[in-house]
Amino acid sequence: MGCSSSLPDRASGRLSGLNSENGSVNDAKNLRVKLVLLGDSGVGKSCIVLRFVRGQFDPTSKVTIGASFLSQTIALQDSTTVKFEIWDTAGQERYAALAPLYYRGAAVAVVVYDITSPESFQKAQYWVKELQKHGSPDMVMALVGNKADLQENREVTVQDGIDYAEKNGMFFIETSAKTADNINQLFEEIAKRLPRPTPS
Amino acid sequence: MAEKISHLSHTLEPKRDAYGFALRPQHLQRYREYANIYKEEEDERSEKWKNFLEQQADTAQNCWSQRLHKESLPSGVSEHRDGTVSDRPAEGDDPSDNKPSDSRIGSSPEREVHSTENLRSREHKDRTVSDRPAEGDDPSDNKPSDSPIGSSLEREVHSTENLRSSEHRDGTVSDRPAEGDDPSDNKPSDSSIGSSPEREVHSTENLRSSEHRDGTVSDRPAEGDDPSDNNKPSDSSIGSSPEREVHSTEKLKSDKVPRWANIRPVLGAIENMMSFRIEKAKNVEDDLKGVNGAHLPTVDEVSHLGQNSEDDSEGDVEIDEASNGSTHSCKGERAASEGTPLESSFPWREELECLVRGGVPKDLRGEVWQAFVGVRTRRIERYYQDLLAREASDDEGKALDNSCDVQQKLKKQIEKDIPRTFPGHPALDENGRNSLRRLLIAYARHNPSVGYCQAMNFFAGLLLLLMPEENAFWALVGIIDDYFGGYYTEEMIESQVDQLVFEELMRERFPKLVNHLDFLGVQVAWISGPWFLSIFVNMLPWESVLRIWDVLLFEGNRVMLFRTALALMELYGPAIVTTKDAGDAITLLQSLAGSTFDSSQLVLTACMGFLAITEARLHNLREKHRPSVLEVVEERSRKGRVWKDSKGLATKLYSFKHDTPSLVKETKSIERPEDVAADADASHLDNSSHLEDLLGGLAVDSEVDSLPDLQEQVVWLKVELCRLLEEKRSAILRAEELETALMEMVQQDNRLQLSARMEQLEQEVTELRQALADKKEQETAMLQVLMRVEQEQRVTEDARICAEQEVAAQKYAVHVLQEKYEIAMISLAQMEKRVVMAESMLEATLQYESGQNKAQQSPGSARSQSSAQETPARRIGLFGLGWRDRNKGKPSVEESCESPQKEITNRELEQQPK
Repeated sequence: MGCSSSLPDRASGRLSGLNSENGSVNDAKNLRVKLVLLGDSGVGKSCIVLRFVRGQFDPTSKVTIGASFLSQTIALQDSTTVKFEIWDTAGQERYAALAPLYYRGAAVAVVVYDITSPESFQKAQYWVKELQKHGSPDMVMALVGNKADLQENREVTVQDGIDYAEKNGMFFIETSAKTADNINQLFEEIAKRLPRPTPS
Repeated sequence: MAEKISHLSHTLEPKRDAYGFALRPQHLQRYREYANIYKEEEDERSEKWKNFLEQQADTAQNCWSQRLHKESLPSGVSEHRDGTVSDRPAEGDDPSDNKPSDSRIGSSPEREVHSTENLRSREHKDRTVSDRPAEGDDPSDNKPSDSPIGSSLEREVHSTENLRSSEHRDGTVSDRPAEGDDPSDNKPSDSSIGSSPEREVHSTENLRSSEHRDGTVSDRPAEGDDPSDNNKPSDSSIGSSPEREVHSTEKLKSDKVPRWANIRPVLGAIENMMSFRIEKAKNVEDDLKGVNGAHLPTVDEVSHLGQNSEDDSEGDVEIDEASNGSTHSCKGERAASEGTPLESSFPWREELECLVRGGVPKDLRGEVWQAFVGVRTRRIERYYQDLLAREASDDEGKALDNSCDVQQKLKKQIEKDIPRTFPGHPALDENGRNSLRRLLIAYARHNPSVGYCQAMNFFAGLLLLLMPEENAFWALVGIIDDYFGGYYTEEMIESQVDQLVFEELMRERFPKLVNHLDFLGVQVAWISGPWFLSIFVNMLPWESVLRIWDVLLFEGNRVMLFRTALALMELYGPAIVTTKDAGDAITLLQSLAGSTFDSSQLVLTACMGFLAITEARLHNLREKHRPSVLEVVEERSRKGRVWKDSKGLATKLYSFKHDTPSLVKETKSIERPEDVAADADASHLDNSSHLEDLLGGLAVDSEVDSLPDLQEQVVWLKVELCRLLEEKRSAILRAEELETALMEMVQQDNRLQLSARMEQLEQEVTELRQALADKKEQETAMLQVLMRVEQEQRVTEDARICAEQEVAAQKYAVHVLQEKYEIAMISLAQMEKRVVMAESMLEATLQYESGQNKAQQSPGSARSQSSAQETPARRIGLFGLGWRDRNKGKPSVEESCESPQKEITNRELEQQPK
């Protein structure tokens, strides 16, 4: 029902307020990173973002066309804040033609698959290869197995995910946008792995 | 479905808008504010459209009546017709649905109008009747007036139709609701004919329809309900299908998804105009067949296929042919009799354009859109059903064919997306989703080069809300194949090209904004890409989306996309410029766009503010940018190599500069076809069909005209002149814009100043360096001096040490001397003692001698001797004595002599310790 919006109204208000203090420049305490979500259609990319940004889960969310943008700021324990500028891309294969537009220049790529779909895991591997070929080399990459709440339908083992992530120097986590499991952890872990600008 | 729609007003949650689409919570307030405005606008435009359509109806009648009369002759009324008729309301999904709508009609103020107008309209009735078949060239299309919204929304048309309706109809209106529900209604066909305007249509069609036809008709809606039906031959003429009976019984009870409905007669004129466009396009494409080989050939092929499959249903084929023939003959007739090309036969085009920009009334939208896209012209009988029927053979037959694989993949994707298309929309229930599924699958089979692309699900869903399934299919075909050709294919090339074109237009129109976005690191395509791909569905409030679609479908190209996107940038650019980081800029633009409730402002800004954006212009720009996209795509597909970076600033500047000449060319190119046309006109006046072909071959956009009548030609030329003047004006405007942009750039370009400053600074630096060097020199000099001084100091120190040593040595020498002196003094004292001793000894001796002498004196000699002896002694004595005397005589002197000596000694002795 409430496929409502791809726009973070709440977040935008908060962020614009935040931004006026921060300015647009990254400093050691306030990071700003571009993050792109990639993965097969229907694995829950938009749901992960919605859960993270608005704390909502909508089982009947709508198809993303092209890409949609949301942003969210988190505070870490060391009192740094990280503002994620999240591009949530369309999942269908042919939209891959447009993906470079969004992942170019991104500091973080989150590749998502559905643990109940081996096909989506294959697709995730395609994306990892694509990013290794065309993404910026110092990109932080995360492999995310979503829909972890559907344990009984699991078809991709945790170990498979871990192994593949390890082989490719990625960070791995299984999440559930539905139950909010590990969603914040995902972004916090990413934030921790970000290269910090050295205070000069 | 329609039931749902009709009850929407009741079941509507507050979260949904008048179309049943979800509203974002944050927009609720604004939507409510605008709801009233929308209503006012709606009323206003309903009025305008009504007038326009009435006018059209009148002219159309004059134009068409004769021929149609003829057509309607070979007719026989069949009882079954009623079944068909009763079916029609079912297009609204549920027969029961008719009642509310009818009763509404009855209660509507227009009703009264009818009754009064009927008085004078009666005489027209004949004409009306004959009129109708004309609009449905194809007799099989015999359900003219229906659309899913029709049941609730048709008032408009009724009102116009009623003008022509006969008196007794009024009385029989009450019949109508019953029809839908009650099969028993079938018998009194005469009364029912009169019962409603729609009826009337049927009655005319009945005249020429054959019995089995209505079977077909009744069949179709039933199919919609049940997916299992898809595979079965839907035509009743294939009567062998066991389904037939089921349908006939079921059709009245079950919800129905209508398959095909004709467009309301009043819109026929519009439809004709638009279909003219399509035919023209087809001709062009046929000419280019070898080169382009697009989808239309497919359509042709299948049309044969479709006809073949229809061989059983002779009636249908006959009718098809008849209608085709009539269409052709009609065309020929018109072309021959009038000899005038497109524009002059539709003098009201401009008026219509105005109306469309003002918005299409909700009630008419579905049908108007169909007319715009040319659904009926595109339609090929049974094509849709055949596409769906293919499923069976696909599933049973070829197991793992390659194409089958692709189809499976697409199907899977469609399955995934169906529940995610307008989730929760009241009309997209089980049946709605089934329709959506069939529609998308049919399209995927129709055009394998596109298959299914996300975004089409939304278009299909939207179309399904406005028209019956099969109509929606043909509308979708029109939109995706024609309007958006190459957009949703595997590589999405045209979509990428359009983004480059749009970026160029943005740079040209809003240099400041683009500069700001560049500064923030935001690419225009990030935002405009989704806008274009979704044709603003889900990006803007629905009222705005529909208004844009109105214009877009009317114009039949993507110009409106660009104009709308530019209008949004114009509206929100000033706000965007104030943002300070990329995230904020994008978020702001997204949310502002999402709350563009003032649809009229948007559409008018788009249409009026960006007249210079024409299809011709876009075409040129696309040609310019396409190679780079193709190159990238090729590169990617070939090697999977690095995605090419966006073009450098230099290239962009280059293209920016080279725009202006292209505009000039454009105006020229517009002129050219006219000449050609005029020539053609002169030489082929007699051969109108040839002329038509030729005209068809010309560019769609340049509305070519060739008039035998000089006066008309003059008028036309005037129009053309006006247009050119306008173009010129816009070119001048643009030039001015460019100039100001340039000025801005120049102003911003303070490089000269900077370099001057640099030089200055450099000079300062060198001076400072010099000073530094000088200082250094001085320092070294100082150092040297210092060193010297130090050396000297060292030397003096040495000297001092030497001197000290010398002093010490001297002191030692003094000491030694003193010691010597002392020794000498001692020895002197000893010597003195000895001298004293010697003196005393001498005295003693002398005394002894004198004693002896005295003794001897007695002896003289002794005395002389003694005197002789005495003399020396005396001398000695004298000497001695003298010395002694002197000493004795001057004891003070001796002592004083001695004392200084002693003093010295003492002094020396005293000194010595020192």
